[in-house]
Amino acid sequence: MNIDKFEEDIKKCRFCFMCRHLSGVANVTFREADTPRVRSSMIWGVMLDKSKLANADFIDTIYSSDMSAACRFHCVNKWDENGIVLAARRDIVEAGLVPEEVAKLAKKLVSTEAAPKISGKGDVVYYIDADTASVATEAKAFDKIAKKAKVKYATATAGECGKALKVLGYANEAAEKLTAFVEAINNSGAKKFVVSSPFVYDALVNDAKELGLKVKPAVMHVSEFVVSLKIKFAKKAGELYYLESDYLKNYNDNLKFPRELLKQLKAVSPAGFTTDILDEAIDFTFGTNNEESYTCGEGAVVLNVIRPDLVKKMAKYVEARAVDVKNDVIVVASPYSKLQLSKNTKLKVSTLTELAASCL
Amino acid sequence: MFVSKDSYMFEMIRTELVDAIGKDYVNTGDSDKFGHSIDYYWIPEMWHDRGMPTPKPDFVVHPGSAEEVAKIMKIANQYKIPVVTWGGGSGSQGGALPIAGGIILDTKRMNKVINIDEESLTVTTETGIITRHLEWAVNKKGYSTMHLPASIACSTIGGFLAHRGTGVLSTKWGKIEDMVMSLEVVTPTGEIINTLPIPRHASGPDLTMMFLGSEGTLGVITKVTLKIHPKPEERQFRAYLFKDFHTAMQAGADLMRSRLQPCAVRLYDETETLTHVKKVFGMDIGSGAYLVFGFDGKKEIVELQMKYAREIMEGKYKGTDLGSKGGDLWWKNKYKFFYPGYMFHLPQAFGTLDTVADFAHIEKVYWAMKKVVNEKFPKARFIGHFSHWYEWGCMLYARFIFEGKDVPQDPREAAALYNAVWDAAIREAIKNGGVINEHHGVGLKLGRYMKDLYGTSFPILEGIKKTLDPNHIMNPGKMGL
Repeated sequence: MNIDKFEEDIKKCRFCFMCRHLSGVANVTFREADTPRVRSSMIWGVMLDKSKLANADFIDTIYSSDMSAACRFHCVNKWDENGIVLAARRDIVEAGLVPEEVAKLAKKLVSTEAAPKISGKGDVVYYIDADTASVATEAKAFDKIAKKAKVKYATATAGECGKALKVLGYANEAAEKLTAFVEAINNSGAKKFVVSSPFVYDALVNDAKELGLKVKPAVMHVSEFVVSLKIKFAKKAGELYYLESDYLKNYNDNLKFPRELLKQLKAVSPAGFTTDILDEAIDFTFGTNNEESYTCGEGAVVLNVIRPDLVKKMAKYVEARAVDVKNDVIVVASPYSKLQLSKNTKLKVSTLTELAASCL
Repeated sequence: MFVSKDSYMFEMIRTELVDAIGKDYVNTGDSDKFGHSIDYYWIPEMWHDRGMPTPKPDFVVHPGSAEEVAKIMKIANQYKIPVVTWGGGSGSQGGALPIAGGIILDTKRMNKVINIDEESLTVTTETGIITRHLEWAVNKKGYSTMHLPASIACSTIGGFLAHRGTGVLSTKWGKIEDMVMSLEVVTPTGEIINTLPIPRHASGPDLTMMFLGSEGTLGVITKVTLKIHPKPEERQFRAYLFKDFHTAMQAGADLMRSRLQPCAVRLYDETETLTHVKKVFGMDIGSGAYLVFGFDGKKEIVELQMKYAREIMEGKYKGTDLGSKGGDLWWKNKYKFFYPGYMFHLPQAFGTLDTVADFAHIEKVYWAMKKVVNEKFPKARFIGHFSHWYEWGCMLYARFIFEGKDVPQDPREAAALYNAVWDAAIREAIKNGGVINEHHGVGLKLGRYMKDLYGTSFPILEGIKKTLDPNHIMNPGKMGL
């Protein structure tokens, strides 16, 4: 079984509580079962008795994880509960036990053409994935920035990089999609492949590496790209809160570019505060800390499709932590998080791209 | 299991619970029941590790208010169903295990910070809040509860109240019972009561103290008002290495007798200095006993106290100064000890034999416990440190560890070996002037020693229990009640 490869992590996580305060799902469901400890402990039970894999309640719990990896980022030894859950999902898929809503979504993703359509010419290709396309102003904001910097770029649209399939446990199908996706962007002749969605960034940086795929263009999150343009912004961004991205922070060792961009935009951090675990205040901290995931399930890529009620609760959890719901300026790195927060709360949410464009 | 899931009575009771608190908050799924069947107690962990079934609740409920807790209590009394209160489930004593089935009353939905009073410097909060979240909430306003235990990330504030928990700064700022102003409690029969609003009075016995440490046997604590403190301007630590544990203990005791006000003092015996301190800090400090202490508050006062403390350490007791770096490393790594990879874990068998005694007895307690464990269980290692210090004595955080190869594979034999160590060590603690526990509580693990500890006063505890909980539904089988 795939979970067998994680035996050491399971043994370390199954009775450990040290990251439970960061359990994004348990913090809104209040269920012990939704904590890394109990998920790992249940998976240990499956290792001892394979028949437990088929338990519908177990499967439901495993697919309710938000996969934020906040636990792994927090852990002093980086034990990988996220990897454990992913392995369990693969085992569920391989045993033909996936819940109906997951199977339905996977079927749709599998039938989607992997290669994105590339239009236009330029060394830079900007990728408009489905989430990015759903934020009406995201691509427009990118266009405005590119024009200001006199950057000619091509766009890539549609396509399927396989990340959602991977997260759902369809490893082989995900690998096929990513291979075809990488082939298409390699053939485009682009030197820089810019993405707004952090999950796409992670697929092209980490998943590709894991599969031994060489991605020819430099893969850049839009924040990195905008920082590299060294634009002189006419307006200051003002006071705002930045909600960390699961993929940029927890999966990519706290990528520095979002905060560098905020500094370029002369964004002002609300009054900081220190805790006993952080001697220095972290800039732009939302709520009371920057350890919890406030992404509404960005790590699970499609949690909004398979667990919409849960995502709504997670969004409300974020809303409840705002100082001033109507007036706080909230900035996120991912179109996914903007979509969920905009749909389920009254918060004013911008992406980093939209914020940068508004400062031109 | 209280009633068979196949019985229509199961559905009758579930219907009433749903009517009381809503469908979304009454769970009977396998994952939920499993999640509440193991806490941080070694026996259920080992039991699960060996593939044995763990005792599970019949219902897991998540009330959102004291009123909803009261409704649950009334239903439970009607049907005489056991109710076990569950906070973070991170107790090490088995206190929240549903050993008789029934209802697990999970408090985590009651997680709101109700008020931060910046005039009186208090915070009023519901008790299901994870303590780290509470601390962060007051940090944001520039305050601290000063309650910083290793389990801060996983335990609810209600859990600490229920078993009289403590944090790393207890020496100056107190244990949880020193931090409490007042409580709201739902009694076992479903009445919502409040204890007096302030902790210092001459208006009769203190009901707040009666509920603190009652481990869910006398009711459910649903709300608490705690003291908070401005974040100190300065906090400094310093560490010393002494030639042996006895000398270090004398130096630590002198520090406390001097009536300086350290916020933390921690002394590791020679074995734990050699193993844990070096492993966690990555600092090669040589052999001996490591003592760390710190002061916090106004900078000038901190520096003055530090000066006098250094005179105690370096004068009569000739401690080797490890400098502020030796102390800061401890503060920085204070939680690291408890992460997997640093903490003991299965297949090892391990337990924390924590106790507390005055300075006249604490060394005797340490040596007596060490001797009995070493003699009766030669395969066990015995290590200890002294974590929480008072004007009159200190707490011993002793631990025994069996390596996996020395732990029987048969779960019953493993449990028997484990319990035998506790029997031997705890009885030595009582005999030599200690008590059965200082801050982890009693729970299931230590309940059998309560009569020995309390002697002729134990019937008073039993009487209180009988009066408040006539149907004996609250956490049966725990604390020897």
